[in-house]
Amino acid sequence: MDKLLTPKEQRQVLWRLLSYIKGYKTEALVAFILLIFATAGELIGPYLVKVFIDDYLTPRRLEARPLLWIAGAYLGVLVAKTVITYFQLVKFQELALNIIQLLRIDVFTKVHQLGMRYFDQTPGGSIVSRVTNDTEAIQDMFVSVLSSFVQNGVFVIGIFIAMFLLNVQLALYCLFILPVILWIMKLYRHYSPIFYKEMRERLSELNAKLNESLQGMAIIQVFRQEKRLRQEFAMINDKHYEAGMKNIKIDGLLLRPAIDVVYILSIIVVLSFFGISAMESPVEIGVLYAFVNYLERFFEPVTQMMMRLSLYQQAIVSGARVFALLDHTELAPGAAEERGTTISKGTIEFRNVSFSYDGKRDVLKHISFIAKPGETVALVGHTGSGKSSIINLLMRFYEFDRGDILIDGVSIRHYSNEELRKNIGLVLQDPFLFYGTIEENIRMYNRDLTNKDIVEAARFVQADEFIKKLPQQYRHQVVERGATFSSGQRQLIAFARTIAMNPKILVLDEATANIDTETEEAIQEALANMRKGRTTIAIAHRLSTIQDADQILVLHRGEIVERGTHQELLAQKGLYYKMYLLQNGLTDVEEYV
Amino acid sequence: MKVFKDLMWFFYQEKKAYITGIILLIIVALLEMVPPKVIGIIIDHIKNGTMTKAYLGQWIGILLIIAIALYGLRYLWRILIFGSAVKLSRQLRNELYAHFTKMSSSFYQRKRIGDLMAHVTNDLQAIQQTAGNGILTLVDSLMLGSFVLIAMAFTISWKLTLISLIPMPFMALATSHYGTLLHKRFLKAQEAFSSLNDKVQESISGMKVIKTFGYELEDVESFRRQSNKVVSKNMDVAKIDALFDPTISFIVGLSFFLAVVFGAKMVLAGELTIGQLVSFTTYLGILIWPMLAFGWLFNIVERGRASYDRVRSLLSEQEEIQEVENAISTPPIGDIVYDIRQFTYPNETAPVLQHISFTLKRGQTLGLVGKTGTGKTTLLKLLIREFDQYDGQIRFAGHEISQYKRNALRASIGYVPQDHFLFSATVRENIAFACPEASEDKIIEAAKLASVHEDIEQFTDGYDTIVGERGVSLSGGQKQRISIARALLMNPEVLILDDSLSAVDAKTEERILSALKENRAGKTTIIASHRLSAVQHADLILVLDNGQIAQMGTHETLMNERGWYRDMYYRQQLESLVEHGG
Repeated sequence: MDKLLTPKEQRQVLWRLLSYIKGYKTEALVAFILLIFATAGELIGPYLVKVFIDDYLTPRRLEARPLLWIAGAYLGVLVAKTVITYFQLVKFQELALNIIQLLRIDVFTKVHQLGMRYFDQTPGGSIVSRVTNDTEAIQDMFVSVLSSFVQNGVFVIGIFIAMFLLNVQLALYCLFILPVILWIMKLYRHYSPIFYKEMRERLSELNAKLNESLQGMAIIQVFRQEKRLRQEFAMINDKHYEAGMKNIKIDGLLLRPAIDVVYILSIIVVLSFFGISAMESPVEIGVLYAFVNYLERFFEPVTQMMMRLSLYQQAIVSGARVFALLDHTELAPGAAEERGTTISKGTIEFRNVSFSYDGKRDVLKHISFIAKPGETVALVGHTGSGKSSIINLLMRFYEFDRGDILIDGVSIRHYSNEELRKNIGLVLQDPFLFYGTIEENIRMYNRDLTNKDIVEAARFVQADEFIKKLPQQYRHQVVERGATFSSGQRQLIAFARTIAMNPKILVLDEATANIDTETEEAIQEALANMRKGRTTIAIAHRLSTIQDADQILVLHRGEIVERGTHQELLAQKGLYYKMYLLQNGLTDVEEYV
Repeated sequence: MKVFKDLMWFFYQEKKAYITGIILLIIVALLEMVPPKVIGIIIDHIKNGTMTKAYLGQWIGILLIIAIALYGLRYLWRILIFGSAVKLSRQLRNELYAHFTKMSSSFYQRKRIGDLMAHVTNDLQAIQQTAGNGILTLVDSLMLGSFVLIAMAFTISWKLTLISLIPMPFMALATSHYGTLLHKRFLKAQEAFSSLNDKVQESISGMKVIKTFGYELEDVESFRRQSNKVVSKNMDVAKIDALFDPTISFIVGLSFFLAVVFGAKMVLAGELTIGQLVSFTTYLGILIWPMLAFGWLFNIVERGRASYDRVRSLLSEQEEIQEVENAISTPPIGDIVYDIRQFTYPNETAPVLQHISFTLKRGQTLGLVGKTGTGKTTLLKLLIREFDQYDGQIRFAGHEISQYKRNALRASIGYVPQDHFLFSATVRENIAFACPEASEDKIIEAAKLASVHEDIEQFTDGYDTIVGERGVSLSGGQKQRISIARALLMNPEVLILDDSLSAVDAKTEERILSALKENRAGKTTIIASHRLSAVQHADLILVLDNGQIAQMGTHETLMNERGWYRDMYYRQQLESLVEHGG
């Protein structure tokens, strides 16, 4: 998905990243002012030495008072500069971290606004890496690249100002440094990304090859292709080596060694200038000292700036990816404008609903049914028959366009999301448990629930019993998605979570996983309790669990092919009857085939 | 420094590059001593009014030559030393890869691919650093450091050198102290970052739950808290990190101060010229790098050692499946006889297979059926010698399979695994995986046999379509059939289909099976399957239960027995009815 960015796109990404500074104007200003002071402090030292050499040492004027002043000033400035530099560096870091924080929250908020469709299409890992790794790369840019460019840039300008103050003519001569350095930088900026990118690409090729080989090692071995793959790997490895060597060469030609040549050239200019002037008239040696000293400090920041360029490229690529996510338009179905429509009774009606995920193939065709308040409607059918899609639409995970879904006679589009979430409790097939305690998993983010409510909810769904046996009971820590609990126990916790909200409508997606018989009983009892007095839509995999449903809809390929009560459907001897036979012993099967 | 000793074999192997590189580094260090000296000399000439054009020209000429020489030498040692370091990582990477290809399944059960990848990327990176920057910092801190000291002490003033160096040890102490602190805080920051990662991962996996309860805003709030923690831990790092520069420049500033104050005294006392004083301060500036390099060196070496130890322990993993001496190198052709009393996976206690005895005559078809996890795949994996530690024997063409060279044995077997793994390559390359030089006709023939030719023709690039992780996504059935074609192209003596038809529909399954029957007359075929229809025509069917043979016979005999086979047969008939809507 990473196509090459044009220079214009790169600039757009950069500007958009920079626009995040706007929220931190004051902090940025403070950091910048500290930087100016620190730079000034850095430059005053050599100047004081110059004054000392020219005004006191050379003429041998040894008055104690002014000398003490100079020494005191030097040490004072040294201490002040040290302290200011420290705070300046911290401030710039803080600024960068805060900006990234802002961006991160933006991205995460956006993720929550996206519709389920986006999550179906995008692997979870890549979304996670947008929120964390890519923002981390951008953080590197803010921390290392931008702050070092500003800091080093200010320092370079400061040095020139100081040189101009000392000797305009010589400073003018020294200006030759700038075009030379800029030219080297331009060369480096031109060539380095090419080689750097090649190396990164070779590296990711290497890693891809290695990863794939490790995954498919059994195949490689059984087909005796070890030798061939070793050769293939060695070939990519060679290319990576060559790319690495090119990088070393380009860095060797244009980084430190080149900058150092410019340094010696600049020293030559200064020495020649003074040497030639000295033949005509005496010169100030202190000025010479100061120039040499300034030049010595000039070049390290320049090298630093150049070395950071590759981080900049990375950050822009990451930035482009993050912004692509932020600009994504596939949002979750929107909430209604008008507020105040409330759910009172809990009648659910599907009116001729058809739906397609991809716009081509309908997974639901003309679905119509009514669930009256307190009734249970069960959905049964083979995998892919459309059961889950019905729930996805009812829960507003996906927007539908044909037909309508009504609650208490009003289209669900006209309810606020809050009203729907408050009144519809969904228990998922995979009862996802979050990191935290059992109590937190039942409470979720609902602060209105008292501890008593939580225990009551757990008791209501028969979860209380096993929770009480845990060492820390409700404070028991849930590890790695509840891996230490049986799937039945996880299910019960999820029930408690839903029942604690006391919803008017219950949507159940029954677990397919095998559940131990002990918990199974608890679950059946809990389900029966939960359904009492609530309109319930239930997906059932085990037909035994929904025999008492008021209405059973048998789905096949998106259509309701049979409907009725358990007894009615059995009497029809159709699809439901066959499914029932499959699950309940095979005594009658043979005659059927 | 132990890592340098451990890497000695490599330094020895690349001794030319390293010796030349180090000599160049030393020359560079020596040349660096000259410019400060020249500055001092010229200043003294200026001060004493003895400057002439000839003098100036001479010294400037020297500086120019040094500039050019430094440029060339610096470039060269980089190529020699850094280049060798890259060579080392290439060499180790190849070695690791070759080693991985020799490791058997039990190795891959013990190790996670992610960890192995991390060794090859991060650890090699650290080792490369040691062989490159490690050498550089070692040479520079020792050589350049002592040259500067010698130049200051012997050509200018040893007294002034001692005085102005007083603050320097504090720099080394302070930076090494910061280094330790920084490392600790950095680990904390990384921890915070990784829990942020987990938080995001969890939110995305639990997205439906969050949406169900309408807790989007609350979740963002919880993310904000976690993210704030990351900021504060990173600020802790920044607070230490920001100490480095000010501390260094403070200490250097003090050194300069001492140098100028005491140097000036000596100038006045006539012990020193002004030019020498300026040279001296310039030398002080040069001394900063060797000091820093010294601290850095320990850092690099420490990391390099840990990494190198990890890589070495990986490379020392023994091959588990050993070949016997004088192993048979002709691929076996003939009957297969299983006689296994028991097999248990390494590091496990419960046996997976028990009392498995049967004979499969050459040219027959064997069907393996039974519940998931009853040992069907394990039974097959023993035949291709993925595991060796079983009690009993498996004979192929009259010899125990351990008597054959692994390559010879595997040359007789075409294996289609359960998890149809395809490589990120073209369809053609995937089918020709075992015989890369196979002709187009042969490849198409194999694809036709596996009933996947027509599917492939439908792809945009036909046989040149890239598949696998980074290619177009195929349906499970298509992947399975390509895997089958891959094994068929070998025209193997024994073809093993390990539940490899699960994702193709009944009609296609039938077509493939009858094509196989025709094409593989006289050759042995083993089919493990959930669907009984796949083994219905086998000469011998084994029903496995819990690692043991529960039933054995042909379809006809098994249908006449009460048992799992007959029950399952009817059940599957009914299931297919339900699938088709009754």
